[in-house]
Amino acid sequence: MIFEILAVGLIISAVLALFLEDVIYSVAALAGTFFFTALIYIQNGAFFAAIFQFAVGIGTLAVLFLSGEMLGDKPAKKAPPKRTGALIGVGAILSMPAIFLSVSGSTGTTSNLDFGDALWNIRGLDVVLQALVILTVALGIVIVLHEKKKKGGQ
Amino acid sequence: MDFVILSFVILAIGIYGLLTNRQLLKVFISVELIAIAATLNFVMLASSMGVGLGQAFLILAFSTDTAVSGIILALLVIVSKKYGTSDISKILQAIENKDGTEVEA
Repeated sequence: MIFEILAVGLIISAVLALFLEDVIYSVAALAGTFFFTALIYIQNGAFFAAIFQFAVGIGTLAVLFLSGEMLGDKPAKKAPPKRTGALIGVGAILSMPAIFLSVSGSTGTTSNLDFGDALWNIRGLDVVLQALVILTVALGIVIVLHEKKKKGGQ
Repeated sequence: MDFVILSFVILAIGIYGLLTNRQLLKVFISVELIAIAATLNFVMLASSMGVGLGQAFLILAFSTDTAVSGIILALLVIVSKKYGTSDISKILQAIENKDGTEVEA
């Protein structure tokens, strides 16, 4: 039952994020989408995935709020509440398949491989390389900013 | 396996938004929704099998998604500053007027 409620919330917020006129409201609805996705992960026991979803979601939303405020074209007039209600209705209708339909299939053999083992023993090289790339980008940004500051000082 | 249908619906909404929206920020939101659909399917399948590897792969997916988001946002800022709007139709119109050539919308 909880999964169905979260699925309806997720789909309604996704529809609102795409079809609301004002970009700022769209970003607020996208925050709901991230929130419901993280809750679905928690409900299924994927705690690390939920934490990553929250962290990445908050970063994306912060950037989107700023760019939405700076670059978004303001709508000529405010959207009537009827339109928002209609969008919520469309979202509720679209979530019906997720509630009433199901794909049956075996999930194969279960494994007891936990997150830490999987991350370090199987995906260790990926994680280290990603960290290296992120470090290189951070260093590059620091160097570029330093050079700009030096040029500005002269 | 209800999550397969759920992620398919999210994917469909994202693709529809990607094809129909004319605002660059909404296009970006559509890309985010498509990424959410992919990661949702991935993590839920892995957690239903009891495999921690799905969550480990998710980190890779998130870093790719974040890199894509950064590139899209950088392009969005450059285009918006250059043409003064984030509407794709107006940007195409501006390019058409500047070059004097036909641009397919």
